[in-house]
Amino acid sequence: MKAQAGSNKVVVLLRALAALSAVAIVACWISLGAHMGWSQTRIPVQRTDAVTATTFTDYEERFLPGLDFLVAGLLGSAAIFALPLVIPKSKGSNRR
Amino acid sequence: MRIPFPILLVVVVAIFFDARADTLSFDFRDPRGVSQVAFRLDAPLESINGTAKEIAGTVTVDPNNLSTAKGKIVVTTKSLVVPNPIMRMHLLSKDWLNVRSNPEISFEIKKVGRVMQKGADASEVEVTGAFTLNRVTKEIVTKADVIYLPGKLGETTNNKVHGDLLVVRSNFKIRRSDFGIRPGEFLDKVADEIALSVNVIGSAPRKI
Repeated sequence: MKAQAGSNKVVVLLRALAALSAVAIVACWISLGAHMGWSQTRIPVQRTDAVTATTFTDYEERFLPGLDFLVAGLLGSAAIFALPLVIPKSKGSNRR
Repeated sequence: MRIPFPILLVVVVAIFFDARADTLSFDFRDPRGVSQVAFRLDAPLESINGTAKEIAGTVTVDPNNLSTAKGKIVVTTKSLVVPNPIMRMHLLSKDWLNVRSNPEISFEIKKVGRVMQKGADASEVEVTGAFTLNRVTKEIVTKADVIYLPGKLGETTNNKVHGDLLVVRSNFKIRRSDFGIRPGEFLDKVADEIALSVNVIGSAPRKI
């Protein structure tokens, strides 16, 4: 009985962790710009040179998460959520 | 009336030196980082956009007669940048641009054809040149806007160096398959056609 209760606790904890991480990843992706392309570590910024009136691309060094970040993060959360299904059940729960 | 030989010689020498004085040598290294070649390829999730900033080369030209232009613009391959670091790693790898074997991409002016005046110091020219990428050289004919800015170099150097600027802008397309970059491969992931947008600035210092 004790083993089964402990096992259930772990399952609940893992699922809560999975839900939290999924929410955190989606929130992070949205708050940093909800970029629909690949993740970027340098962000292109258009600037204009006053002398020659030439428009050129400069880069800001910062992280912009893309769809790859979102998908990888959600897959990771799904893996945590599914972890109890692949972990062998304890003897206590097997007896039932 | 016969012109005495010494006077004729002086006139010829004066004309020769006057003509030479109009030909300027523009250095296309740009420490300010304004010059760049931007490239764009279509891809499924989003287009691949990047730039190359390490530009060098020299063009000699009489700004009043652009058809005299001769020279070469060189881009350092490893200076190519895309916003995604993994994509950049693939781009510079031996499977694509092979930066170790092909450190430079260049365009050498072969001929400047039709020149169309667009303003006091701005013209549109038709340029024929040898474009070299991945050790393959192809002849390319493209239009370019050329803007001559006399006396403007000082504004970019805090008046430490005086001289003229030459701005060259051109847009043209190439096919990676023409240059042996994975011809016929990954066409569903990376387009064959590459759109190039050249914005380069040359400087010709002058002594005051």
